[in-house]
Order: sequence, then structure tokens, then C-alpha cells
Amino acid sequence: MAGSSGRGEFMLEITNLVKRYGHNEPVLKGLDLEVDGSSVVSIVGASGAGKSTLLRCINRLVEPTSGSIKLNGHQLVNLRGSELRHSRRRIGMVFQGFNLIDRLTVMENVLSGRLGYVSLFQALTRRFPQSDIDRAFHLMERVGIAHYANNRADQLSGGERQRVAVVRALMQEPEILLADEPTASLDPKTSQQIMSLLQTLASEMSLPVLINIHNVTQARMYTDRIVGMRHGQMIFDGSPKDFNQDALDAIYGGIESPDEDAAEAGAQTQEATV
Amino acid sequence: MTTGRTATDMTSGRVWKKPPFIANPWLRYGLIAVTLTYLYWAFSTLPFDWARISEGLPRAAKIFGGAFPPSFERAGLLWTGFKESFQIAFLATLLGVFLSIPIAVMAAKNVAPKPVYLVGRAIIIISRSFHPVIVAILFVAAVGFGPMAGILTLTLYSIGFVAKLLAEEIEEIDWGQVEAMRSVGAGYLKMLIYGVFPQIMPRQIGLSMYQLDSNLRASAVVGIVGAGGIGGTLMNAFGRYDYDFAFAILLMIIGIILVSEGISGWVRKKVW
Repeated sequence: MAGSSGRGEFMLEITNLVKRYGHNEPVLKGLDLEVDGSSVVSIVGASGAGKSTLLRCINRLVEPTSGSIKLNGHQLVNLRGSELRHSRRRIGMVFQGFNLIDRLTVMENVLSGRLGYVSLFQALTRRFPQSDIDRAFHLMERVGIAHYANNRADQLSGGERQRVAVVRALMQEPEILLADEPTASLDPKTSQQIMSLLQTLASEMSLPVLINIHNVTQARMYTDRIVGMRHGQMIFDGSPKDFNQDALDAIYGGIESPDEDAAEAGAQTQEATV
Repeated sequence: MTTGRTATDMTSGRVWKKPPFIANPWLRYGLIAVTLTYLYWAFSTLPFDWARISEGLPRAAKIFGGAFPPSFERAGLLWTGFKESFQIAFLATLLGVFLSIPIAVMAAKNVAPKPVYLVGRAIIIISRSFHPVIVAILFVAAVGFGPMAGILTLTLYSIGFVAKLLAEEIEEIDWGQVEAMRSVGAGYLKMLIYGVFPQIMPRQIGLSMYQLDSNLRASAVVGIVGAGGIGGTLMNAFGRYDYDFAFAILLMIIGIILVSEGISGWVRKKVW
């Protein structure tokens, strides 16, 4: 039954995922996570809890040590070569530092989302199919960056650059979108805009989104489900309204986190402005 | 005011000296002693023949005297020599820079697997280990006198320099961009084209300009051992005691280097 029948079932199914770097303590200790067809899930936890490793195991930027990751019933662990690349192109990823190709134009950055689909010659000469160019303009207009098409990516502001990165990921026609601290390099106002954009895009395209996030307030506001991690294990999984002080203490308790107060204080002002 | 004075009184009288470069005094004074002994030994055993030096100085003065005024009479010969040097330098730079890209990728630890990395490094080390003049002598012996030997020599010279610095540049790129390209499902070559090359492009252009500069200079030198170009003309001028013509050639070389330095500096500033 697991996921193969598509929407409604679990489209992402992670079972007993372990990641260990060398002979150190594992970063992920047998983690189980299921995500259904169109939900926005935030993953919270202190630095070093394994959030980033978890996301990177899904698109195999990090090799899992053991366990199983299935996307729409398709096993991702142990894929090699072109099979791995074909799976990766169906998994979009947005990064904390945007990771745009700074010296290329916005359009080239957006079209680079199609690199898994086009030939080497097309990639080298930038002769992308007309359908890709149409899709690129459509998506750029959707997020309000179409007028930057021929600007160099490093000329844009942080929020605009993250929009480019989101569009690049959407160009892949992804089945799932991973966002690794997408707002951590942005100012509070812009980071809200990006979170809200991810939320709307997810529902428009019925695209499941996994967001690693430090800002608990934003996790509550913009996502349907919160997963709390600590020391490589999942210790909370529920809706934002169940995410109470106890859960917060369980996730961050005993860990110095000065931003937490700031986030709480920020919540007041945010609610006032939104 | 009084408190200020007492504070000064309390903190005064402490001396400070910069800590010595070599902390261990035995080692420090030992090294100084060894250096002085060596210098004494070197100067006392070297055959400084003052008679020969005093003979040589007037001869040098004569050569310089003969060089004035520089003669541009044989402009045709000058032109042919420089044209050949330019051709050697341009072709060698193009070839060298072109070949150094794949070699640099091979020799960059972060994008090449270990065995490939070792091969890449080996190529660079080999092409760097000999001075161009020695390489030129080898190539002149192998392919005969003329510009062909010069082109091969300077190509190898360019590879050694450009590939090494480019490989170091690749090792320092922002890895996030590479990760992004891997995450969209790009293969190795597409990852290089999008994730790596744009990042090293300004450095690549700067290095190419610098190398063209350097090859222009070196093409004059390798010409002396028979690898074509203005160096050969210069050598012949000296051989026939045409010091005024030789001086004209030297002036031209200086002029051309100055101009090319200016141009390459300007281009490097533009592409950043």
C-alpha cells in the first residue's frame, strides 16, 4: 500500500534512516518519517540535531548509512549514476545561502533547474527548449522576478535571490520540495514573504514541502505540521496547535538558544503587522 | 587628575620588547654564527679576479657605447622577428590555456577522484619542473630549429603555470553552487559548466592575460636557444657585434612588454 498509488498516500516514506559520519556518534539514529501528498512540513530542532542531514539524505547530497527512503514508492537509497540523477531532478531543493550561480544571469539560473532534462550540448549553448523558456517566464512572473531575467544573479537582493532559487527548484517539475533553512539569511520581513510564498506555491501545485527552520514562530504560522528533532531522533510530530511549551522544551531544553526569546518577542510584532 | 597620575605611576616602569623571531636563544645565535661563517668562507674561497673585472668594465662600456644610438635600420628583420615571437606567444597561450582547463579540473582535489587527481598533479609538476630554456633546448633537439619548438615549449610552460593556479582556484570555489547543480540532477560535465566554470572565469581570463604577457617575454628568451622569434634575431645581432641593432631590439621588447602589461591590467580589471 505504501505510497505507490500516488496522492493521498504517503508520497515520502523514510524508514529507520541512519547516518553516521566515520566512527562518530550517528547524526540520524533510525529516523522514521512519512509525508503525504500535499503538506507543508517544518522540521525544527537545535543546530546539530540532524535536520540538514535528513534533507540531504533525501536527495542524496549525503549518503545515508542505512535505512530506506521512498519517494512515490520509488526507493532512493542505493541509486547510482543516471538513475540517481533522474531521481534528483524530481526533488527540488532550496538552500540557506541560495546557492545561485552568481556570475550567470537570473534566466540561466532558472533554466539550470532543467539540467537534468536537457542534453549537454543544450546546456553548454544555453539552447533550452521553448517549453522550458515559457515555463521559466511563467514561474518568474508568478514570484515577481521576470524583469530581472537578464540581470546577473548577484545583483539581486537576498529575498529576490531566494525567489530565483525557488523558481529554479520548481523548474525541475519536482514531486517534492526540500528547503534547508530557506529564510535564515534573510531579514524578518523578507523571510516571512518567502515562507508565505512556499506555503502558497505548495497548495497551488499540490506539492509537498519539507522545510528545515530555526524560527519556531514561522514554523507555526506557515506550515501544516511540525516535526521536532533532537540528537538525530524525531521527538515531536504534530500540528502547529499541539506544538506547545512542553514540546519546545523537549526539543531545545538544556540547549543554549538565545534566539528563542528573540523569536518569541518577534512573534508579537509579527502578529501585529500581519 | 590625581587619580590619573597615580594610575600612571602604578603602571609605569614595565618594559616591553617585541618577542624575538626565533624564541630559542641557542638556535638564534647559532644560526647567526653559521650564516657569518658561511659568508666568510664563500668570499674567501671564490675566485674573485679583480684584474678580469677591471678589464671587463671598459669592454662593457665599449659595448654600451657601440649600442648608442640604437639602429632601427634593419626594420624588416626586426619586424619579422617580432611577428614570429607574437605568433609563438599567441598560439602557445591559446593552446596552453585551452589544455590547462581539463588538467586543472583533474588536479583539483574537490572535483576529481584521487587517482585522476594524482595524474593531474603529476602533469603539472612535470611541466613546471624545468625552466623554459631547458625545455626549449629539448624541443629544438626533438623537432628542429624554428617556431615549432618555441610553441611547444611555451605551451608546456603555460600549462604548468595556468593549470596549477586554476586548480587552486577550483579548490576554493563556493561548494554550495556545485551542490545546487547536483541537486537538480546535473551530471558531472553539466555540473562543471554551471557550478564550477562561472566561478573561476574571471581568474581564468586574468591568468590567460598574464600568461600571454609572460609568453611574450619568454618567447624572446627561448629564441636565443633556437626556438624561433626575436630571440634568434637578438642572438645574431650580438654575434655580429651589431650592438646598436641589439639595443634597438631590447628597446622594442621593453616597449612591447609595457604595452601588453597595460592592456592585460585593463582587461583584468574589466572582467572582474
